[in-house]
Amino acid sequence: MSEAAHDEARRLAEGARDRVRFEEEALDLADQVYSVARHLSGSREEAEDLVQETYARAFRSWRSFTPGTNLRAWLMRILTNLNIDRGRRKQRAPDTQPLEEGDYYLYNRLSGSLPDANPQEDQVLRRLSQNDAVKALSVVPHDFRDVVVLVDIGDFSYQDAAQILDIPIGTVMSRLHRGRRILKKELADTVVETS
Amino acid sequence: MRQPVEDPCDKCEQMLQPFLDRELTEVERLEAEEHLAECAYCRKRYHFEEKLRMFVRQATVEAMDPQLKTKLAALRTPL
Repeated sequence: MSEAAHDEARRLAEGARDRVRFEEEALDLADQVYSVARHLSGSREEAEDLVQETYARAFRSWRSFTPGTNLRAWLMRILTNLNIDRGRRKQRAPDTQPLEEGDYYLYNRLSGSLPDANPQEDQVLRRLSQNDAVKALSVVPHDFRDVVVLVDIGDFSYQDAAQILDIPIGTVMSRLHRGRRILKKELADTVVETS
Repeated sequence: MRQPVEDPCDKCEQMLQPFLDRELTEVERLEAEEHLAECAYCRKRYHFEEKLRMFVRQATVEAMDPQLKTKLAALRTPL
């Protein structure tokens, strides 16, 4: 084999090895990607389609990933773009009307109907079920929910969430604060309605 | 005319999220801590919020269907 052919063979082998490593690392993150997809989209089926599309695109364009950077955030960027492409928005600018309910609203609503006048936090929290949380999160408007899901469930930093969603970091913070308040209001309404 | 004095618990409620997110300035953080040290009402609601965040994170974990994992692996480039 000539030296040039030898170099070419080595380059191809290295490329294949990098690709295999990339694919394995990406697949190791599948549970986390699914978890975010599940709450960004409306249903289990939609989330499964979204995750498959995300991985198909990631495997096709693996060369555009810079090794040593955050692969989880890179995958999430693909996922959120696909989710937008699927036509679930672009919607109007999110509602910025002041929200009447503050951050103590949920605690006050839940503790108010307990027999103990001064209940412990755990007692209050036990009024919420797993299903309540999933249901309440699903009705938070998309723009707020995206940020809450990425930061509070996906454990992304504000900086990562800003890059993933392509919005300024200040917008991440304001949507996160508002999104959490909406979530708490929905939780309070869900629980108080069903009790 | 004097401005009405802001209720310290209302102010503390406003600081709840930035406090837990460690976004407050040093001065604001000290102010919140000072109030929390003497106010059981706010302290309880802050503790509740911490636990609520953990609860939401755990409650929304949903395992992926193992079949989906197989489908994703099948998307890999053949060697």
